Amino acid sequence: MTDSSVGLGGAGSAAGQRAAGAISAYWQPVAAAVLLLALWPLQQALLQRDGGRTLVFALAIGLALGVVLQRSRFCFYCHARDWLQRDDPRGILAIILALAVGLVGMTVVQSSWVPNPQAGQLPPDMHIGPVSWVLVLAGLAFGAGMLVSGSCISAHWYRLAEGSAASPFALLGTALGFALGFQTWNPLYSLAVADAPVVWLPQHLGYGGALLLQLGVLAAWAAWVWQRHVQQRRRSLPLPTAPIDPARAAPRSLHVLWRSLWQGRWNYALGGLLVGLIATAAIVRMRPLGVTALIGSQVRGALQGQGWVPERLNGLDGFAGCATLPAATWATPNALVLLGLLAGAFIAAFASRQFRPRMPTGRDAGRGLLGGVLLGWGAMTGIGCTVGTLLSGGMAGALSGWVFGAAMLLVLWLGFRWQTWWASRA
Amino acid sequence: MTIRTAAPWRVLIAGTAAAAVWGASPAFANTPQAVPAGALVSTEWLAANLQRPDVRVIEVSVNPGLYERAHIPGAANFSWHNDLNDKVRRDIVSKEAFEQLLSKGGVSDNTTVVLYGDTNNWFAAWGAWVFDVYGVKNVKLLDGGRKKWEAENRALNNRAPDYAATTYRVGQVNTDLRARLGDALAAVEGKGATQLVDIRSADEYQGKVFAPAGVPELSIRAGHIPGAVNVPWGKAVNEDGTFKSRADLQKLYADAGIDGSKPIITYCRIGERSSHTWFALSKILGYQVKNYDGSWTEYGNSVGVPINNPAGTIWAAK
Repeated sequence: MTDSSVGLGGAGSAAGQRAAGAISAYWQPVAAAVLLLALWPLQQALLQRDGGRTLVFALAIGLALGVVLQRSRFCFYCHARDWLQRDDPRGILAIILALAVGLVGMTVVQSSWVPNPQAGQLPPDMHIGPVSWVLVLAGLAFGAGMLVSGSCISAHWYRLAEGSAASPFALLGTALGFALGFQTWNPLYSLAVADAPVVWLPQHLGYGGALLLQLGVLAAWAAWVWQRHVQQRRRSLPLPTAPIDPARAAPRSLHVLWRSLWQGRWNYALGGLLVGLIATAAIVRMRPLGVTALIGSQVRGALQGQGWVPERLNGLDGFAGCATLPAATWATPNALVLLGLLAGAFIAAFASRQFRPRMPTGRDAGRGLLGGVLLGWGAMTGIGCTVGTLLSGGMAGALSGWVFGAAMLLVLWLGFRWQTWWASRA
Repeated sequence: MTIRTAAPWRVLIAGTAAAAVWGASPAFANTPQAVPAGALVSTEWLAANLQRPDVRVIEVSVNPGLYERAHIPGAANFSWHNDLNDKVRRDIVSKEAFEQLLSKGGVSDNTTVVLYGDTNNWFAAWGAWVFDVYGVKNVKLLDGGRKKWEAENRALNNRAPDYAATTYRVGQVNTDLRARLGDALAAVEGKGATQLVDIRSADEYQGKVFAPAGVPELSIRAGHIPGAVNVPWGKAVNEDGTFKSRADLQKLYADAGIDGSKPIITYCRIGERSSHTWFALSKILGYQVKNYDGSWTEYGNSVGVPINNPAGTIWAAK
């Protein structure tokens, strides 16, 4: 009863004594919903275009992804850091869950597209890339970029919508990194990429075999993460013997539940589950999720016009992944996913009062630019980032996704070790 | 009172169920109609005859992932890149591979094949030409293709059909439906015994551009085969992508001097848009037509053959 009076108080009753914060905490999500409605004219305009329904679908997928990423703070860098440096395994388990859910979902979809995976045909436009030392190098560079800039590209997008000071610089740096990547692509292609195998696991193991192997690896990884966590905890403090009985906790009112959606962060596992579902839903109607194609194609289009990027990027457009071929129109599904992601993250941040812009410092700019360049070079050379190559690729059963992810994680592990060592020296 | 007590969700469910039954009823209520005599079937006819086991719908699209995400219910997928072209040579699919393809698709001699696809049915028409080369009977094109089917909000789904395989055997191969470089040269030198129809855009025909926008320039020289008349493929279709009427088509080509009294060769850049015109001239008007699939990417690159280039570009320069 008291809870509802807080809410009604916001509507103009005498309960104005209550902190204005409580009012805005209640109404800010509503204001955010109004913001959401402001996208209505955009979707009407999109429907007029060729392939308009897919564009609207892409916008909706992007919105959902933006809200989920922001609310669950789904961030590869932070989740890896929490695990490797702070012994909090929840985030990395959420990533494992996302991969597992997406893996099952995409296997279901792909098994309808390519009934016999061993016959030699790859599922169309799924992010299955060439595997060579160049991909490893791309993963290493990308991981280093995450360490320096403080997130991966997808997290920089949603942080941009939260008013982050470093993210604009990181994204600018990413564009520079793409330009650098286009410069180094042709020699790397001749050295290793042209002959690199494009490995789609179901082609070699069948759908069942590939699913078993990949889920098995994920399960083993999750078990190891958990076991390591338990052991480290045991050293510091005893484990609780009796779990808290949820039935004994008082039920929360709907109102309190609603407000909890817009406070703090969502459960990690919910974030992982939703990311896996969104990635699967995407491929049913459009190309797999990716958040770098727009940067890539814009940079390539602009620089090729100037003659600063080779007119011909050997073999690049023949690989499935985050395509960088300049598009004839701005309204591509990929661009709308990104627009939706920004809008969704902004709306979620606004509703949760987590939109906190601040003036960037020189350090923000420097870290962002340098890290961004590494991110950009890695994403260009790896034909995608943590979303396009690791999530969309790994879930589809592409070996390239797993290799990129492993290289990235290796650098993060080394980086955190180095940070700990450095801190202990000081 | 009953309305007041009925929960909104009940009304919604009842309404949805009613709509579903109503919407689905034409497919069930309509008794299968006879297969139309001509080379085309309408979207309306196909929608009413999708359930027929003796009708096999096959999508031939060029954009990857299109069929997989949504296709006409029950349609099989013949990939233009992987299924209807030879994987090694620049050639149409081999007879053996074509037999396998049709067997896998459950096509028998009694099957009516309905082809459709993206990009204005260009590649589906190319498919129809390959089917004709291999002598498949009862092949129709869905008038208006994928675009019209979608525009009419007709049903699509993404399930892969699984047809009982047949053992399809190709009889006579109709090589006379296919023009080779030698046939094109003979037409040039034969001074009008065979008529050439260039169906590309006026700018390509004139040699102002080497290829349409967004398409790689694969020719060294621009222009057209001497003696060819230019009737861009798009003139043969209505706004909705369906073919114009027989009388209109007859007039369109007659105005360019093509009246069916002489054998015809159609060509474009790689032979897919020209298949569309080949279909109109051969299957709708009944003229004697060969499609030149080597087209301008072969002819315009050949050493020593005469070309006509009104724009005067030499290589890519003026």
